[in-house]
Amino acid sequence: MKKLTQETLQEWSKLGHRNAMSGSLELLAAERAEVCVLTADLTPTARLNKFKDTFPERFFDVGIAEQNLIDFSAGLAVEGLVPFAVGIAAIVPMRCAEQMRVALGYMNLNAKVVSIEAGVRFGPLGNTHYAMDDIAVVRAIPNFTIICPSDPHQIYKAIMGAAELEGPVYIRLTGDSGFPLLYPDDFEFTIGKAIEYKPGKDVAIITTGSLLAEGIEAAGMLEKKGISTRVIDMHTIKPLDTEMLDSVFKENTLILTVEEHSSIGGLGSAVAEYKAQFANAPRQIMASLGDRFQELGDYGYILGKCGLKAADLASLVEKNR
Amino acid sequence: MAKKDTVLAIEAMAKRMRRNVIEMGYVAGERGAHFGPALSCIEIVASLYSEIMVHDPGNPLLAGRDRFVQSKGHACLAYYAALVENAYIPREAMKTFKGDGSYLAGHPCRNLQHGIEISSGSLGNGFAIACGMAKAAKVKGEKHTVFCLLGDGECNEGIVWEAAMNARQNKLDNLIAIVDKNGVQLAGKTKDIMDVDLVAVWKAFGWNVIELEDGNDIASVLEALSTMKATHEGKPHVIVANTVKGKGISFMENSLNWHARSMNTEQYEQAISDLAKA
Repeated sequence: MKKLTQETLQEWSKLGHRNAMSGSLELLAAERAEVCVLTADLTPTARLNKFKDTFPERFFDVGIAEQNLIDFSAGLAVEGLVPFAVGIAAIVPMRCAEQMRVALGYMNLNAKVVSIEAGVRFGPLGNTHYAMDDIAVVRAIPNFTIICPSDPHQIYKAIMGAAELEGPVYIRLTGDSGFPLLYPDDFEFTIGKAIEYKPGKDVAIITTGSLLAEGIEAAGMLEKKGISTRVIDMHTIKPLDTEMLDSVFKENTLILTVEEHSSIGGLGSAVAEYKAQFANAPRQIMASLGDRFQELGDYGYILGKCGLKAADLASLVEKNR
Repeated sequence: MAKKDTVLAIEAMAKRMRRNVIEMGYVAGERGAHFGPALSCIEIVASLYSEIMVHDPGNPLLAGRDRFVQSKGHACLAYYAALVENAYIPREAMKTFKGDGSYLAGHPCRNLQHGIEISSGSLGNGFAIACGMAKAAKVKGEKHTVFCLLGDGECNEGIVWEAAMNARQNKLDNLIAIVDKNGVQLAGKTKDIMDVDLVAVWKAFGWNVIELEDGNDIASVLEALSTMKATHEGKPHVIVANTVKGKGISFMENSLNWHARSMNTEQYEQAISDLAKA
């Protein structure tokens, strides 16, 4: 396998999740002949030009037809290829929910769906382009694994891991260009196993996706105030790492879940659903995009409005202790 | 032209398949069955399994087998009937159709050991998946053909046309779709619900189209299928087959009432008697 260099990771961090994804797919396809990439007229947007030029026989553009993106991928998977279907998060899981359910979930096909620009990164484009419900949609489909990587390095690991995992996988990418490299060194990544990014005794901040960076910063602010804060990177939402949650329930006194997704059906819901059976589990508060369409604005503006910046998270914890 | 004895053998196969359809549909009792849409496509499915497709019931995963996708999944009885006659499904399993715990659901569920290539029944999606299967064969340099059976009502679905455009763009001349144009969909006649000139539309989408005046005529079905299977000119193929809904059962033919319903004993006996006379 072509080595993933520190320079590449830094470049992906600078350029954003789309480059991290396309670069990872190039590395993967160079190793595995059955891997192919599909998109729905998004080649430049998804930074797939180089993939298209390097692997023209394994790159398919289905046109602006997302439902067919999924079904066509399913047909390839039926015949033993390993398709990665790349789409915009606001469109793909919702518009293709049925194709993802019937073709990929029901037949348990070895096909991967990668969503770029999940959450509200598309800021000024407006609510038609915000993906606030995609985790909820995919979580309800049996057999699907859902991964929300937190940094460029984890995007690479998630794509490599998804290719190894037999079955349908949904990879949800968030974060702006300039999103930080939170895992600069090699690290252990196992689908379904959360990462304790930082230990802490009082509060547990559980994040998914690129908001891990805000969670880490919030933890730093809380530590300065004497509040011992644990940070958990719940990169896989399904299957949920219940072993890690059991440890949180035992060792921490307050849980804050953080996600760039609706308050319904995402990480917060998944944690709460599991937690409901335990009488003495700690209280949980949720930071999310809420249950509303957003006010138009820049990415940072909307995250701020939703209370998802580090300072907001820290003060939310303080208020609820 | 197909040989006379080939046609006669497929006629006999079609008759046995119709009997299977009635037996399974009757077993379903109150759960009901889609009789009409299964009976209209019997000659097409029988021709595929008896003469046109390369396949081996002794080895359902045979490399190089032709693929059959029944996109009009509600007509699964025609599919199961063929799979029973070809020993992919044991005859006694017919008694379990739509039963608790059975693998013979009201819409096909992928089961390669029993010859069911994909799950279908959400209309239009089977066809789009079949296009992907044909593309995979091209990518892998495999020479088999993918056959896909659609309903005329099914062609209301947008996904059919997303996939049709894509198949043409990808020059999938190893793909043969057959539209079972029986003229009736769930709520009425197709011309009253969505009146579309399917031949013109498929042509406009760049497909190689053959229209069969009588899609229940085995000789014409065989001729169209074998011609298309041998033609590789960069265009996907579609047969628009004018068929008779409920074909072969007197009280079901062209009836708006027999798209899907349950059958009582009197009707069962009448159906068996109709088949005996045919």
